[in-house]
Amino acid sequence: MGDIAIKAKGLGKKYKIGASAARHDSVRDMLASTAKNLFQRKPSSNTSEFWALRNASFEIRRGENVGIIGLNGAGKSTLLKVLSQIVTPTEGSAIIQGRLGALLEVGTGFHQELTGRENVFLYGSILGMSKDEVAEKYDRIVEFSEIEAFIDTPVKRYSSGMYVRLAFAVAAHLDPDILLLDEVLAVGDFSFQKKCMDFARSLERQGSTILFVSHNMFSIKTMCPRVIYLKKGQVVFDGATDEGLKMYEADSRLAQAPWFHPESSDGPAITVTEIELLDQKGVERTVFNYGEQMTIRIRYTASRPIDNPDIRIGINRSDDLHCCSFSTHSDAIPLGTINGEGMLEMTTPALPLVSDQYTTTVAVRERGHQISSQLGAIFHIRHEELQSSAFGVFHQAGHWRVGTEADSTIVAGSQISGD
Amino acid sequence: MTAQSDLVTSPTPHPLPKRTSDRVTHIRPERGWLDLELDQIWRFRGLLSTLVHRDVMVLYRQAALGAAWAIIQPVFAVAIFTIVFSRIAKLPVPGDTPYPIFAFAAVLPWTYFAEAVRRGSSGLVNEANLVRKVYFPRIAIPLSGIIAPLIDFLLAFLVLIALMLLMGVMPTWRLFIVFPLILVASMMALAISLWLAPINVRFRDVKYTLTFMLQIWMYASPVVYSSSMVPEKWRWVYALNPMVGVIDGFRWAVTGVGQPNFVALGIGSTLIAIMLAGGLIFFKRLERTFADII
Repeated sequence: MGDIAIKAKGLGKKYKIGASAARHDSVRDMLASTAKNLFQRKPSSNTSEFWALRNASFEIRRGENVGIIGLNGAGKSTLLKVLSQIVTPTEGSAIIQGRLGALLEVGTGFHQELTGRENVFLYGSILGMSKDEVAEKYDRIVEFSEIEAFIDTPVKRYSSGMYVRLAFAVAAHLDPDILLLDEVLAVGDFSFQKKCMDFARSLERQGSTILFVSHNMFSIKTMCPRVIYLKKGQVVFDGATDEGLKMYEADSRLAQAPWFHPESSDGPAITVTEIELLDQKGVERTVFNYGEQMTIRIRYTASRPIDNPDIRIGINRSDDLHCCSFSTHSDAIPLGTINGEGMLEMTTPALPLVSDQYTTTVAVRERGHQISSQLGAIFHIRHEELQSSAFGVFHQAGHWRVGTEADSTIVAGSQISGD
Repeated sequence: MTAQSDLVTSPTPHPLPKRTSDRVTHIRPERGWLDLELDQIWRFRGLLSTLVHRDVMVLYRQAALGAAWAIIQPVFAVAIFTIVFSRIAKLPVPGDTPYPIFAFAAVLPWTYFAEAVRRGSSGLVNEANLVRKVYFPRIAIPLSGIIAPLIDFLLAFLVLIALMLLMGVMPTWRLFIVFPLILVASMMALAISLWLAPINVRFRDVKYTLTFMLQIWMYASPVVYSSSMVPEKWRWVYALNPMVGVIDGFRWAVTGVGQPNFVALGIGSTLIAIMLAGGLIFFKRLERTFADII
């Protein structure tokens, strides 16, 4: 038992959803709906229970870094909330050994009217540090946050970046035995993000146990040798990261874009049933080199004839930045009328996208209206040097002029080779 | 160990450093009725003092007049009561105490009590963000709600002493009695907050109800009039209001007229103890659901 940091046995959390569980913000509402139910004699049929988490059992050893992955609503945040005692589980139990720090959202304990200095103490004690402890770490916290100059300004005047920096700096100095991180690293500018990642790694070296929830598979890969994959509230995989990510990537393919609402309740008129990413030899891959061409093959099923559709294939970076789109309309590809099952293949030019993780999206438009939108396969682009933190979205060589006005040589930049 | 966890990477080769804390936390769905986890309050005492500190600072920083509000509020109340109840309605005052002193001695604990109840019962909702995202014993919020207005009370108390000197009422050793009495008032405020705060999380009506509830309560307490005006046969009903004993005690401490109402204080304190115990259990039972419904 000595080396166990967290031991969870059958953890579950149930929420009530549906009309009768609708929140009564006032007694009047409650009385009204109770009266209504009384007369309608309808037993609360539309109450449904929903398990946000079920049967979660696992053991995490001291010093282990574990990634928690899963699609939106899979129960990742619920799990962290249960472990950090914010919500009480409906069933099961867990034992936690050592001091636990949870960073579920940075800066929630901040008070707008107070200065940065006062908030350091406030947030520190909310996270569980004593006053003396914060005082002792104060200088290091301020230095880490890089906002010394504004420390006596009320935080309501801070930019969101400064706010996050200060909050993270406090949280980072909690020195917990177990740290629960929920996507907080995805905030702030890139150099600060890197600092945070470095900090997380230093915690790792110190032997802290870290539970890390993220949608960024790249961060998970670099930080955690083990992942717990949650699907609809259940632990479906617990083990080596590569294997877990494969399952996750297979599942996250072809999910409907979360913001898209189909025109009818039967679903969109056209559904993309498969998206495959192939290299130039026709082999399916998920990691591509910088500057490589990629073939995207999609299969679809249309439930009604669609006249001259515009099929758009987009590429989004891991932080949801829309990088580019390819469109049958703008490339003047006549598709005629499509119906039933079909296949479409598009080969990209040499992609100048820099090293990061990307998601493909497929959207279908008919007469200017979007009728389908789906998230597709996830792929990575790898390059040692061309990281998005330094190079932005894409990189292409420039033409440089070297020397003085009179005596100059034009040096054409040579494309940095993709590995 | 399940087959799945065999895939888990072996423990890190280098020796692990000492834990920062050897605390073992058990997370489980049910707690016993009487497991009030009062030790948690002690563990989080730092947070409690920070919350109080923050409440006080924020209050005074947001307002242009700052700390002056602690004085203005009771002074205005006393001025209005003096005009309405002493000058116009000509309410009798036992002894020869000037009406402003007579009223101030009651307004002082009442203002504190009303403010403590208001903050204690609305704190959870105002701190919804904190409750949703961070773990700490939730009772810290109503506790800080009843502690923070004590600062206002102390400031107003100094004003009362100044007013007494101004009007020729000499303060005596009896004045020290106000401190245990304000403690009784704060326990009353805590007891009510422990009941109202969880209800307020569920039904926001509490906020609206509270305003007129406190107003009615004030007239049911001897704030503007003397408790000696209450008919003898109703005194025992009157004493069920714990603020009666507190306010009578304050009056005696300030003016020296009459004697402390020990019967009312006794009944009041017993009621407070019962309500407090019930409130603690009620609050603790519902605490687990705050993050789900707030």
